[in-house]
Amino acid sequence: MSFLKKLRGGEKAEHYSDITLWVVLLFLLGFGMLMIYSASSYTAFNEYGNAAYYLQRQGIAAVLGLVAMVVVSYIPYHFWEKFALLGYFLSVVLILLVKTPLGVESHGARRWLKTGIPGFNLQPAEVSKVAMILFLAVLVCKMGSSVRRLKGFLVMLGAPLPIALMIWKITENLSSALIVMAISMVMIFVASPDYKKFIFLGLGVITAAVGLVLLIQNTTLLDGFRSERIRVWLDPESDVEDTGFQTIQALYAIGSGGIWGKGLGESMQKLSFLPESQNDMIFSIICEELGLFGAAAIIFLFVVLIWRMVIIANNAPDLFGAMLVVGVIGHIAVQAVLNIAVVTNTIPNTGISLPFISYGGSSVIFLLIEVGFVLSVARSIEFRD
Amino acid sequence: MLKEDKEAQEPDLLRSQCRHYHRIKITIVFFLLAGICLFLFGRLTYFMVFQAQHYAEKAQELHERERSIKAARGRILDRNGLTLADNKTVCTVSVIYNQIQDREEVIRVLCKELDLSEEYVRKRVEKYSSMERIKSNVDKETGDRIREYDLAGVKVDEDYKRFYPYNELASKVLGFTGSDNQGILGLEVKYEEYLQGKKGQILTVTDAKGIEVEREGERRIEPIAGKDLVTSLDLNIQSYATQLATQAMLTKEARSVSIIVMNAKNGELYAMANVPEFDLNEPYEVTDAALTDFLKKKTPEAENFDLAAAREALSQEETQEILNGIWRNACINDTYEPGSTFKIITAAAGLEAGVVTPQSTFSCPGYIMVDDRRIRCHKTTGHGGQDFVHAIMNSCNPSFVTLGLRLGVERYYGYFEQFGLKQKTGVDLPGEAGTIMHKMEDMGNVELATVSFGQSFQITALQLLTTAASIVNGGNRVTPHFGIKAVDPETGEETVFDYPVESGIVSAETSETMRYLLEMVVSEGGGKNGAVEGYRIGGKTATSQTLPRGTGQYISSFLAFAPADDPEIISIAIINRPKGVYYGGQIAAPILRQLYENILPYLGIEMYNQEETTQSED
Repeated sequence: MSFLKKLRGGEKAEHYSDITLWVVLLFLLGFGMLMIYSASSYTAFNEYGNAAYYLQRQGIAAVLGLVAMVVVSYIPYHFWEKFALLGYFLSVVLILLVKTPLGVESHGARRWLKTGIPGFNLQPAEVSKVAMILFLAVLVCKMGSSVRRLKGFLVMLGAPLPIALMIWKITENLSSALIVMAISMVMIFVASPDYKKFIFLGLGVITAAVGLVLLIQNTTLLDGFRSERIRVWLDPESDVEDTGFQTIQALYAIGSGGIWGKGLGESMQKLSFLPESQNDMIFSIICEELGLFGAAAIIFLFVVLIWRMVIIANNAPDLFGAMLVVGVIGHIAVQAVLNIAVVTNTIPNTGISLPFISYGGSSVIFLLIEVGFVLSVARSIEFRD
Repeated sequence: MLKEDKEAQEPDLLRSQCRHYHRIKITIVFFLLAGICLFLFGRLTYFMVFQAQHYAEKAQELHERERSIKAARGRILDRNGLTLADNKTVCTVSVIYNQIQDREEVIRVLCKELDLSEEYVRKRVEKYSSMERIKSNVDKETGDRIREYDLAGVKVDEDYKRFYPYNELASKVLGFTGSDNQGILGLEVKYEEYLQGKKGQILTVTDAKGIEVEREGERRIEPIAGKDLVTSLDLNIQSYATQLATQAMLTKEARSVSIIVMNAKNGELYAMANVPEFDLNEPYEVTDAALTDFLKKKTPEAENFDLAAAREALSQEETQEILNGIWRNACINDTYEPGSTFKIITAAAGLEAGVVTPQSTFSCPGYIMVDDRRIRCHKTTGHGGQDFVHAIMNSCNPSFVTLGLRLGVERYYGYFEQFGLKQKTGVDLPGEAGTIMHKMEDMGNVELATVSFGQSFQITALQLLTTAASIVNGGNRVTPHFGIKAVDPETGEETVFDYPVESGIVSAETSETMRYLLEMVVSEGGGKNGAVEGYRIGGKTATSQTLPRGTGQYISSFLAFAPADDPEIISIAIINRPKGVYYGGQIAAPILRQLYENILPYLGIEMYNQEETTQSED
């Protein structure tokens, strides 16, 4: 593979080091901070008297995350093998802790844990995502050839289910539960040589989703907060005042951006019209300020980032390393795709942050730790002619 | 290159090599992702290119707060360009919560300058809203004084308020406007589309809480002033008619007096006085007179009323009822039984049908039997034998009954319709009342007989005047109107209004005969008191009972036109419920005589040969 040679950084380099990955990653982080500042400075100033309130907090998280990432990248990834089961149980415990007085409620849901550091709360769901990636990577390797059998498939499928159910039911966070399942599905898909099962599973999920939507649309059997979101998704302008508010505000932002955008800092929708504009909805502010051009650039950068990771996975020295990278790929890809899908009202509104860009300390730290795994795998790639 | 796939398993599963299918699957994952990203890019393109305008407009609407700038309402002018309705500058004082710095000072100043209670001002100043109105219609001097305090957060916006320089003059014709400068009554509402103009807007971009976003600046859409309405009213004639009407109302202690002065040839209304009028600058004031009338109607036996207490006790509906009474234009909104003035119509119908000529003879024994009913003449001893000229001069009921019966129900009804009496006149004022008439199939001889001398049906005063005008002006039914043209105050561009004229209502011969007959009424008959020295006047008096009958109250009226040989002006004076002498010939005719003595020279109508008029005086 000749392109690897180019990226070696000289014939004498012993380790594979992906400059493109670094550049894209740092750009996304830096750009994310810029956009957090742009999207939040107005509301931050009104609420906290400090326009850089969110920027500063995100900056600290990013620095911590980068340090963690570099440290992790120097630790051989096989070191983590023995923590697989521990991590699995740790996430169970952390999720359960949310129900204790250690839990913190915010935005109407109890999803966070006190960390002791003022202003920084931990979201157990973020820990679960890393833990699940590690656990499944180990599990896949340990199963050996039994991954080919139905039993093996069911075991792999069964592993993330309890965690996902707990995230959904205990922390009332359906989107994180779905992300954990989606990451797992990506890993299982790669691990298993079979295609049929996945095609059937995919068709089954699509059929179930369509059926559910039709049921909600035409009957009142499943009324409630989630079915309301689905109704609003089908026709966001029907409920401009209430549930559809955020979706409509996001569409206003996206639509008014046009091809070239209003210019950095010129968003109107961030002036407290669009709730969570520095968080889950930040992509719509990017669209408003930088236009279709800027939005396409960000999507492109995510694709490049994933592509670099795909190359690392495909060249990983062993299956464990590859599976670890596949898990991270799954995590970043699923969140990026779902976030943009929510913002463009392609799927019903649910809280999913945009990796590296959205405001959120836990999210950025754990994502960077995951990238640390990827870099660690990359470091152990040996060049052979 | 990496090693090829191996089927053989190595002992440490965690260090086993990737298989070929793993790489394929990882690549599939990548292309799936790329595909989804492409799809999402498509979604974005849809919103940001094809739906961009839609969402940008919606967002713009959301971001902009608008303050409207009132357009100056068009003036209402009389035929000589004198202003009857104008605008004056007033101020609206509001506060903007987020901009106020010294709350107590603002409250203190506003209380003092606007003469408001502290409680009222405090409530509004302390209310958290983007903009709170404290008081509107503040006069300009007060507004300027408040501006001089230069208080942060206090906004004084200039605004227009309708102003009527002549207060009560032609109140029921002009009408007035509401709080938003929209027409509510009379010409103000009828010509709303010309007068109102188009509001301007100040668009300010704000954040979600309504705070102005400085960098966006403001967009101003200038208002377009309304057009001036030039009316046919003549300030002098209207003033004089109002004066005469008021005088008559006071001396005869009448309920109300109306005078209409119209151009007989084209229907332009020079004056329409309805006393009591009301003050257009205070249209919502319940006057003492109106309140007393209302109370009398409620408790007829009571003598004295405590007006102040009664005013307090009025419910909203009662107040509205009184105001509706005050605002009614009796000439147009109310119908009445015209009485003898309607003999003009019967006479014209008879002449048209050829069943009568001026020389036809009638005999009046003081009554006439119709079927089994005995209809009396106002002269109970009878007028004896007389020709048609004298029958109309004497306003002899039996003669007109005879004439009506000669025509028969069908023919009479046909003329009633032909003369346009069943349609509305089409006057450019709102709320014109229609004619209340028997159905033809319900009309027997008795009904026909009573209709022949103007009883048992109801029309408006303006309807009677318009029909009489068409009979004496050569047979052209004109549309009575006030509006002549709308003029753009800036460009001078004019919109001239057209009004339909229906010709051939009666033949020229009939019209000429009618002019002769009605001139005889004034020169030698019952309308003698309406004669004006130096002018040939035609006319007809009437004294009718108010409905319902039997209250002993009357409506006296006189309809007159001049010059009698070629009518230019036609007028009617109606006295509603006079006390004492109530004959139209004695109390209504002098009103129009005085009016004509003044306005005919004023309008430049030539005097007739002096000698001949002197001769014709009896």
